[in-house]
Amino acid sequence: MPDLSPSTLLVLVPLLPLVGAILTVALGRVLGPRAHLPAVAGIAASAAVAITLLVGMAREVGVGESGHDHAARPVEMVTTLWEWASVPDAQASGADASSAATSFSIPVALRLDPLTSTLLVIITFVGLLVAIYSIGYMHGDPGYPRFFALVSMFVFSMTMLVAASNFLLVYVFWEAVGACSYLLIGFWFTKPEAAKAAKKAFLVNRVGDFGLAVATFLLWMTYGTLNFHDTSLADGTTVPGILGATRLADAAGYVGGAVGTAICLLLLLAACGKSAQLPLHVWLPDAMEGPTPASALIHAATMVTAGIYLVARSAPLFVACPGALTLVSVVGATTALIAALIGTVQNDLKRVLAYSTISQLGYMFASLGTGTLLGFTAAIFHLVTHAFFKALLFMGAGSVMHSMGGVIDMRRFGGLRRVMPITAATFLVGSLALAGVAPFAGFFSKDEILASLHSRGWPDAHGEQHESAPAGGHAALNPAFQGSGPAFQASGPVFRLASVTPDAAQLAGGVRGSGLDAINSPATWRLLFWMSLVTAGLTAFYTFRAVFMTFTGPTRVPEEAAHHSHGGAGSAAHESPPSMTIPLVILAGLSAVSGWWLFSSHSLATFLAATPSFTAPSVASTAVPPVFHWDLAIQGTLAAAIGIVIAALGHLGKRSDGPQMERFLGPLETLFANRFYIDQIYAALIVKPLELLATVAAVFDRYVIDGLVDLLARIPLGLGGIVRQFQSGLLQRYALAGVIGMLLIVLALVARAMG
Amino acid sequence: MTPAPLVLNGLVVGAILFALGLVGILARRNLIVMFLCAELMLQGISVSLVSWSRHHGDWGGHVLVIFVLTVAACEAAVALVFVLQAFSRTGRLDSAAWQSLRESNLPRVVDHELPAVDTVPHMFPRLTPAGIEPPVDEDALLEREQV
Repeated sequence: MPDLSPSTLLVLVPLLPLVGAILTVALGRVLGPRAHLPAVAGIAASAAVAITLLVGMAREVGVGESGHDHAARPVEMVTTLWEWASVPDAQASGADASSAATSFSIPVALRLDPLTSTLLVIITFVGLLVAIYSIGYMHGDPGYPRFFALVSMFVFSMTMLVAASNFLLVYVFWEAVGACSYLLIGFWFTKPEAAKAAKKAFLVNRVGDFGLAVATFLLWMTYGTLNFHDTSLADGTTVPGILGATRLADAAGYVGGAVGTAICLLLLLAACGKSAQLPLHVWLPDAMEGPTPASALIHAATMVTAGIYLVARSAPLFVACPGALTLVSVVGATTALIAALIGTVQNDLKRVLAYSTISQLGYMFASLGTGTLLGFTAAIFHLVTHAFFKALLFMGAGSVMHSMGGVIDMRRFGGLRRVMPITAATFLVGSLALAGVAPFAGFFSKDEILASLHSRGWPDAHGEQHESAPAGGHAALNPAFQGSGPAFQASGPVFRLASVTPDAAQLAGGVRGSGLDAINSPATWRLLFWMSLVTAGLTAFYTFRAVFMTFTGPTRVPEEAAHHSHGGAGSAAHESPPSMTIPLVILAGLSAVSGWWLFSSHSLATFLAATPSFTAPSVASTAVPPVFHWDLAIQGTLAAAIGIVIAALGHLGKRSDGPQMERFLGPLETLFANRFYIDQIYAALIVKPLELLATVAAVFDRYVIDGLVDLLARIPLGLGGIVRQFQSGLLQRYALAGVIGMLLIVLALVARAMG
Repeated sequence: MTPAPLVLNGLVVGAILFALGLVGILARRNLIVMFLCAELMLQGISVSLVSWSRHHGDWGGHVLVIFVLTVAACEAAVALVFVLQAFSRTGRLDSAAWQSLRESNLPRVVDHELPAVDTVPHMFPRLTPAGIEPPVDEDALLEREQV
């Protein structure tokens, strides 16, 4: 039995899908219709290992053990595989570079901590379900092996991204997931729209990648290393990693001010690109051209969460720059609102879900930007539940599309609950979760997000609420509190939380603030809270509009469904095969219970609080005992109920191609339907000038440069034309030429003889 | 030893003969006349050679002239055979008949048309030609098997 230590298991998690991908590429043609086997086996094994790691890590953190009211201690395990690059004697200048020789070294190191293990489980498990689903969905497609190779490759890249312990490695796998996304969106590359959508996705992501690259440079210059973890050099000194225990324990470990804000803004840009936030969200709706399982995996559950992961991982960096932190929330809440507005008028089921994804990711960013431990854990909680119900919804949409023969325009079919009962039931569960209806998953996570926003907008009210909570006193939101209660105990090894006094100054205004900090005021937070509440209502509205249009009303099936036969009677639409419905059922179950289970046991919050990034004093000092916010729950449920009722009024039981509700919006409907003209603005501001530049360059190349070359070519032609005149064919002219030549020679000789 | 001015006379005569021959080759189109002028050039050279040889008192020049005369005679035989062959190919003794080795973009050199002498036109009966006249290829006209 090979050594199954945690570090080996951690290496196995990305390794198994990689092996699966390689085997699929090598044996795909040979295996034929069984080409899914290596990929599915690899991802399944990887999921099993990830769950094992999660269980082990949970035990280590002490989740579920009672009587733990002390601050969480960071738990991490680092495995270094090999040294990828190393430049000795590199110099890093900057505020925090240690004066000891900072050699530039990039070890291929993986780090396991609660955040990573949570995401690993999500990625591999949802990836497994998507792979199983794809067996049915992609059946008969000529590119069947290629699809599974790409899915497997993607799972490998994403798991490495969340496990990597070095910013440069994160960048490498950031690009890798972007490349896999490009290949999967453009899977049917012979279709022009798919090829264009793939290009658009990749190019917009590149803008974000540029941000990440420059942020990496600045991080190296500021902190002297790119590692997350502390590394010890040969001479015994320790190079503190950017998110390593040494620096986390240091109250002044993170740089604020202009440089820190620049780093945070660039990281935010990268996250916006990958997670489709304003202004880089334009690629996600077009990415629906790819196969639905790819959309479910990449654009709902995993790749788009890479941005969330990056910001959450860099939590201490962000908290040191309150302005940038607030901007994260502003971007998130704004995107959530705008995407929700656009989603209300979409007629394509997958587009509704795409805008819904953008909107929910906006929620997660809004929560991350609050800078409190509650905010960070709520964002990850929402990430987990969103992965479940959004993948479920996408796969349900794929099931509908599969059985409707490729038609996904909701106005062309209706009343499908009689035709596809399992899909309808699971889709309904997913929609309830998305809309935030209790007790489904989305309710709890959305409630936590609203709570974190509320706590920033109304700090006093929130502080009272927590002080009266049964778990006892606490909370750094009250700066007067000196931590005399059981809240903070310096326990355990030296580099756990040593500082006792919560540092609220960081939340209030920053040590060395930058000009951006002006937006960090309670008024901003209140506005963001109300925006989020309105967005919750809109979410419920557009989700249930889609549900009612698709599954209720008179049963209508488009003609394409009749042509689509499964080798059976070739008759009209039917439910999808078990390979597609079983994952739906599993995810529906998870969407229903995971929220309640994770919230009631507070397991996720406790688990995540042990992440090193969240144990930094600036973040951990905002820890509050978990409490269920009844007022916010009521507000959220009310918003969702209003949305559902309005959707029902418009679409429940009616024909889906009847008069649409948008006529009530008037001119706004055009604005939403044209996606706020952002695509057109980009086309005019960016694409047109670039096309103009390209035309100018082409003209210059064709006429000036080629013209010069042609001109050079004409010289011999011209000279030849002149010489050609002498070839007349007449004997006497040739003789004349000879005589003239002879004359010239004689004259030259005479001239030389004479003088 | 002959006095110096006599050489000069001989050279001048030789030069005149040579020049006449040179101009003749370049200017005349008749193949036989061109050949005659070539012979004339040879004779001019011969005169110069004899003058120089008398001036230096060296028999070498005289001997070379004998060689030249011999060679000229052989050359005459060859050249006249060539002229005969050329005539039997084209039917003309005109060196301008041989132009087909010119560059493809250059036009054929034709003589200026002399104004026609105005004679009394004979009223010959004119028959309408039957069929289409084929296009006239000047070079092909000159390619006759025999005269």
